[in-house]
Amino acid sequence: MLVASLVLTGSDRSRRSRRYRPGRPYDFQPMWFLAAPERVHAQPALPGGHSSAPVLEAPIFEDSSGARVLPGPVGGASDSW
Amino acid sequence: MTVGDVQQEQEPQPLTALEEPGGETVVGEPEQVRSEAGAQVANGPFTTRQLLRLDEALRIADQQTGLTFSVYIGELEVPTREHAERLHKQIEGADRAVLIAVSPNQRRLEIVTGNAARKRISDRDAKLAGLSMAASFAGGDLAGGVVSGIDQLASHAGRH
Repeated sequence: MLVASLVLTGSDRSRRSRRYRPGRPYDFQPMWFLAAPERVHAQPALPGGHSSAPVLEAPIFEDSSGARVLPGPVGGASDSW
Repeated sequence: MTVGDVQQEQEPQPLTALEEPGGETVVGEPEQVRSEAGAQVANGPFTTRQLLRLDEALRIADQQTGLTFSVYIGELEVPTREHAERLHKQIEGADRAVLIAVSPNQRRLEIVTGNAARKRISDRDAKLAGLSMAASFAGGDLAGGVVSGIDQLASHAGRH
């Protein structure tokens, strides 16, 4: 009886786990972290909700290893898991 | 020297906005934890300890490199790269800004570096940091992956 009650108490399935687990739904609100929050300004939304797609598609560059180098003024990388 | 090595030298500064860009900080505004915004933070995916670690990593990275590091965690519109670049543009002085955008549901990670930041953090460096972060995320360590990524990117950028 004691063991059963301890097991039931320990396995509180009604408590929501905050830990992220791949493959399980992540339903938290978007969050933005900055050391200086005042340095972000809202960008005015475009009419009709359309994104500012470039008129001409930029070419895709590759470095010596064949990895894609992002064209344009911004850089970085993309990944997935 | 890594970001963590200079931890002791830093002056106290306001902590990170946690719930949305431009918001107040939890430590600076303790009453937030009782507000709706504070409740959102409290119900977020991170523990208080993880939030403090993330905040500290961001502050140290900013101070050490002179760049503006930022982390967005949430859904990204498809194509995710373009959405991340639009978010990056919203940061003041985007040229010197580094945005780490993570979408746990889509399992996508985007690192965006501004024009000036790109000269300090090459795309290859960003890719390396991204690989490391993705490995942490795949293991379920969201906060650890982000903190580690910030540290790696700041180390690649070097001191200003």
